[in-house]
Amino acid sequence: MTSGKIYRHSIAARTTHWLWTIAMLVLVMSGLQIFNAAPYLDASDKSDPARRVLAFDAQEGDKPAGYTIVFGHRFTTTHLFGYTDDGAGAETPRAFPGWLTLPGPQSLADGRRWHLFFAWALFIAWVAYLISAAVRGTLRELVIRPSDFPKLLPMQMYYFRLRKEPPPHGTYNPLQKLAYTVVLFGMFPLLMITGLTLSPAVDAAFPWLTALFGGRQFARTWHFTLMVLLIGYFTTHLALVVTTGIWNNMRSMITGWYVLGKHDGVGP
Amino acid sequence: MKRRLFIASSLASLGLAGCGRVKESLTNGPFRGALVSTEKLNDKVIGTHGLAREYAEADIDRNFRVNGLDTPSDGAYAALAKDGFRGYQLVVDGLVDRPQKLSLGELRAAGVKPQITRHDCVEGWSAIGKWNGVQLGTVLAMAQPKSNARYCVFHCFDRDQSGQLYYESLDLGQAAHPQTILALDLNDKPLDNDHGAPVRLKIPTQLGYKSAKWVSRIELVADLKPINGGTGGYWEDQGYEWYAGI
Repeated sequence: MTSGKIYRHSIAARTTHWLWTIAMLVLVMSGLQIFNAAPYLDASDKSDPARRVLAFDAQEGDKPAGYTIVFGHRFTTTHLFGYTDDGAGAETPRAFPGWLTLPGPQSLADGRRWHLFFAWALFIAWVAYLISAAVRGTLRELVIRPSDFPKLLPMQMYYFRLRKEPPPHGTYNPLQKLAYTVVLFGMFPLLMITGLTLSPAVDAAFPWLTALFGGRQFARTWHFTLMVLLIGYFTTHLALVVTTGIWNNMRSMITGWYVLGKHDGVGP
Repeated sequence: MKRRLFIASSLASLGLAGCGRVKESLTNGPFRGALVSTEKLNDKVIGTHGLAREYAEADIDRNFRVNGLDTPSDGAYAALAKDGFRGYQLVVDGLVDRPQKLSLGELRAAGVKPQITRHDCVEGWSAIGKWNGVQLGTVLAMAQPKSNARYCVFHCFDRDQSGQLYYESLDLGQAAHPQTILALDLNDKPLDNDHGAPVRLKIPTQLGYKSAKWVSRIELVADLKPINGGTGGYWEDQGYEWYAGI
């Protein structure tokens, strides 16, 4: 392993990275606020209890309980989902807790405004990153290619410590490339498009787009599912940031400088 | 490591102390302005284009969900309802050359057309209904809006617990959309009281709260600011967007 410092992330990459980190966090939390107003998801165009994918329910009384219902299977999730924190020190029937929703425990109007503002922020950060990464050539190093596919399993084996060395690769390892490609070119655009198809005016202007996702309520279901998947990615990302040298990783995403060492090419 | 802990804990306490001030600046400061600009941007980018999808009879929700303020049950509305709305007259006035008072018969005679469209509530749910009514554009044309008229304001019979009457507004472009109608029937029957009898607005290209129920008067104006909270509608005055296409 070589030692020394490298300038790893351009100012554009760092700025857009933190911009969409904030945007994503606010989008998830204000999105849950909006979701709370109709706490169910249907795999249909109009609302249809017969095609319900996810729902939350509460039982009030002496022994209050909260329930999360997934494909008809009921799970008790009291205190967390269904019957949970109202943001004012008590508990109440509501899907997601008050501490998880923005901008406050209950404000559909402001939740929507925040959500739409940060949706624009995410869109702008995404476009700005893609342009700067394309110009600098980072995109070429980052996007997965067919030649990376055979290296995916060996790389995963390396992560599981079933292999001593990672397979030979460029700046980013094949699993990183897969994750970044899926997030940048799959999840981000799909989140934006499914979000837009929830809008009656967008539906009127591009009816085929809404039909593509199975209708408005189905698009709402996809939008939510993509959010859950993105949180899955975010959790993995965070775990790798921590385990592959949190201070080095954080420094490189703040100042740009990364100290070479044992984790090169393994990172988040 | 100690230094880092110190920095982290100072940042955390700063965050807590700043919370009140941050919240204040988020509610009234420049961020509020940014939120309002976002709405204008959405209106510019998305606007009102194309036609809302029209559905088949089989898609109709026969038990169409009731939402909104309570059904009015007193005063002028109760008197009209008792008489089967025979005495109802829709007032169209304000910045118009020919103010109108239109009975239900006259509205029907202006030409009604059914549409089976989806109603998208701001809460997130959707329902499909068959709405039969007269195009708003037709009714406005009868009143001949003056050249300085920019919005039509819908004054309604329903009021909230504090006594505030419901109202809504559209600009004349949104009003002229062929699917923006004054609905008289829902699912082949005259509107019942809970669904906005005898006349409600139906605009399928925007969210449900724009489709004002129990409309009593349409006022043409140049500016929305002098009316009530000044933002163009009952829910708008409580922070919801005036442009509800998204």
